[in-house]
Amino acid sequence: MRRLLLRVASAWAGVIPLAAMAALAAAGGIAALAALAATSPLAAQMTPGAPKPAPAYVIRNATIVPVTAARINNGNVVMQGGRITAVGPNAAVPAGATVIDGTGLFVYPGLINSGTYIGLDEIGSVPGGNDRTELGEFNPHDVALSAVNPHSELIPVARYNGLTSAITAPTGGLISGQASLVDLSGWTGDEMAVKRSAGLVVNYPRAGGRGGRGGGGGRGGAQSAEDVNETLRHLREYFANAKAYSDVKAKLATGAPGKQKTDLAMEAMVPVMRGESPVIFEAGTVAQIRGALAFADSFKLKPIIRGGHEAWQLADTLAARKVPVIVGPIYAAPDPEAPYDEIYANPGVLAKAGVTIAFQTGGASSIRDLPFEVALTVGFGLDPDDAIKAITINPAQIWGVADRLGSIETGKVANLFVTTGDPLDPRSHVRYLFIRGEQVPLVDRHTKLYEEFRARPKPPKR
Amino acid sequence: MKRFQSRRAYVAWPVCGLALAASAAFAQQIPPAPQPAGSGTAPLTMPIPPAGKLVAITNATILTASHGTIEKGTILIRDGKIAEIGTNVPVPAGAVVIDGTGKFVTPGIIDAHSHSSLEGINEGTESVTAMVDIGDAFREDGLTLYRQLAGGVTAANVLHGSANTIGGKNLTVKLKWGLPVDSMRFEKAPPGIKFALGENVRQTNNPAPGRTPRYPRTRMGVEELLRERFTTARDYQAEWAAYNKARSALKKGDAEPIPPRKDLELDALVEVLEGKRLVHAHSYRSDEMLMLLKVARDFGFRVATLQHGLEGYKIADEIAAAGTGVSTFADEWAYKLEAWDAIPFNASLMAERGVKVTVNSDSDERARRLYQDAAKMMHYGNTSEEEALRMITLNAAWQLGIDKYTGSIDVGKDADIAIFTAHPFSPAARVDMTLIDGRLFFDRKTAPTLAALMQLMRRTRAAMGNGGVN
Repeated sequence: MRRLLLRVASAWAGVIPLAAMAALAAAGGIAALAALAATSPLAAQMTPGAPKPAPAYVIRNATIVPVTAARINNGNVVMQGGRITAVGPNAAVPAGATVIDGTGLFVYPGLINSGTYIGLDEIGSVPGGNDRTELGEFNPHDVALSAVNPHSELIPVARYNGLTSAITAPTGGLISGQASLVDLSGWTGDEMAVKRSAGLVVNYPRAGGRGGRGGGGGRGGAQSAEDVNETLRHLREYFANAKAYSDVKAKLATGAPGKQKTDLAMEAMVPVMRGESPVIFEAGTVAQIRGALAFADSFKLKPIIRGGHEAWQLADTLAARKVPVIVGPIYAAPDPEAPYDEIYANPGVLAKAGVTIAFQTGGASSIRDLPFEVALTVGFGLDPDDAIKAITINPAQIWGVADRLGSIETGKVANLFVTTGDPLDPRSHVRYLFIRGEQVPLVDRHTKLYEEFRARPKPPKR
Repeated sequence: MKRFQSRRAYVAWPVCGLALAASAAFAQQIPPAPQPAGSGTAPLTMPIPPAGKLVAITNATILTASHGTIEKGTILIRDGKIAEIGTNVPVPAGAVVIDGTGKFVTPGIIDAHSHSSLEGINEGTESVTAMVDIGDAFREDGLTLYRQLAGGVTAANVLHGSANTIGGKNLTVKLKWGLPVDSMRFEKAPPGIKFALGENVRQTNNPAPGRTPRYPRTRMGVEELLRERFTTARDYQAEWAAYNKARSALKKGDAEPIPPRKDLELDALVEVLEGKRLVHAHSYRSDEMLMLLKVARDFGFRVATLQHGLEGYKIADEIAAAGTGVSTFADEWAYKLEAWDAIPFNASLMAERGVKVTVNSDSDERARRLYQDAAKMMHYGNTSEEEALRMITLNAAWQLGIDKYTGSIDVGKDADIAIFTAHPFSPAARVDMTLIDGRLFFDRKTAPTLAALMQLMRRTRAAMGNGGVN
């Protein structure tokens, strides 16, 4: 992240350390600015190779939307050492903190996209950049994070609309592999990682209907009923083997005599079979969702439904069973026989029924669309507050990181952004964004090309 | 509702007994439209007012797209045309009134790049197929057309695909779903034709095993092919001119000259040379766009639109100087190499430099939410609200040569109108009604929505002794 700070000094205009403000006001002019540069925390960061400082920031006098509590008018958010250290109208400003004037602005927790393959693909048609789909049907030991390119040009673009974290997941096969939860900033994959293994992606087979929906990019296509049964038989067999492997491993751990040859794929299944790690079932239709729930029951798995465009038909069941649903992509066409507004109206029905929902955009280059995809569902019945929850605290809960992410609360990781209005409204603009308490300039491939060509002089007349 | 039963694709549930239509005051007042002759469908019972009926949309916020926003305004529609607009428009007795209180009214959305409801998009066997017409592949009953009406779309530029350097002729339609195709054609629209440049024409991204490589394979070849075909077209044009001249100079007793052999491909290209057929050119990179503009200049015709034009922002001044419009995506990028420099600020930057820009769908899915894609132009590059709205209405009408008839809310224009529940750019936006020529083609109150289906399912299950939807 410091690399970004070095690149973009201009993005820091308007951000002035509090301690230096008085001096600046008194002295005025360039000399004071030079002094400021020398004393600011930024200056320390600009020395290549210098140890990482623990910057302190305060966003002052903003409307804070903590998501887990009532909104606070004219409040401060204080960040120090990567965490949120104080929130409220009277939150004290630590000495030396960099102050951002939040007057007229809104502070939201960073948005979380619950289904993408960010970092695993760069340019769609260029095979050299595609690391998201492994050969074979069963790849539980493939982990997204091991192939995430932390320097993908798509990552800064994603941040432009307030995203700070995303699930990135492999695609294809029956068991695609393990999804990783990452922060959208870091020098290395490990620095980005929030959770290396956030869940196992299983593409539940689909019978009949029309195949090739967006989203996981998994098997997608519909199969005949016979083929579905055959596919399911393979899937059951695989899980049965994993259960046996897991059971033997548990017995050996209690001191039972015997040996077990280590199998890396089976090892990857152990936390899943113990119900410690969730299974993300890519399942859209009622039949798929019912099937996935029954499958989860039979192996005592912890299911998450992803896609779920027909989940509204099972809303009460899903709510009663406390099975979360990752809806989306919302930028998708409904099935031919479905109501025209099924995809837009489905999330609202689920939320009203008490289902914990989150959103995914799928894809990589489209992940910045998250707030706008959610916006479409608000017009069709999703409560605006529920909509914000579905891209902040809900995913944090679903992915088991609600102690760290998803809201603006003291003690949580400082992933947040400052915007001019409702983040779901395309007319709003994100002004500042923080990941782990460090400000990340909103500069990306697109803003750079924009500025470059906006400054192009008029060509000579020919 | 009954018409839904007859639609081939719309089979599953929209059934009799959905007594929702009763709630629509509009529905009660309007007699059913006469059944279109020869359509082969069930009688239309949807409340499409017959031509000639007066319709008034009252007390609404009207976003005209041409002359600002009118608060608490009324639009009076007579004979399918906008007759009066303003805050003091008296509503004549007998007019059908649509209460626009709290509603936002915009011009009907025009999708400047569509491949909707087509049986086949590309005649991809040759790289020049100017003789084919996409109108021959258009289906009047595509369900997607109804779904686009539900997104406020009233007209579309239905284009041949981008497989060929010179593709087929276009079809400009009004989305009068449920009526036969002849009443959907936008008769006054000038004819157009699809061109394409870059990766699709070169067939580089989807190599089909066993397929014979087709010329051209490079951007060099694309330019050469364009010049070769237009050179041939010019010769053909000259042959006909000479023939016509000889005929008109014919004296009594002279032998009748033999006409040149008719060539359907070259006929279309001559229409381009004569400015009678609009060129809509699929293009991505700035260099290929400049190439085409130069070819067009050399042959003396104007390129009406660069379709996609993703790198248009790099050469906005050149495009503006050529009088060419650009129809682009709001924010698609990185799906192929030539989309790597695509930026969502493209439309805003070009508009700033004087290019007439539209935001198009190129997709049945995006076509349903073009109002949001337009809103993104305020997000990316600070386009003004009215200019953003024009990018899906008036500018599209201009690009298609139909701005005299539609594209804005102005007196005398066709009453092609979308009515939203909230500001079309806000998250709360949803289309309530869509009118074409003053006739109602979408009404959410009578539409087969998910909410309506849930009601029906609940009722059915309650009748069967199971109250829950599950």
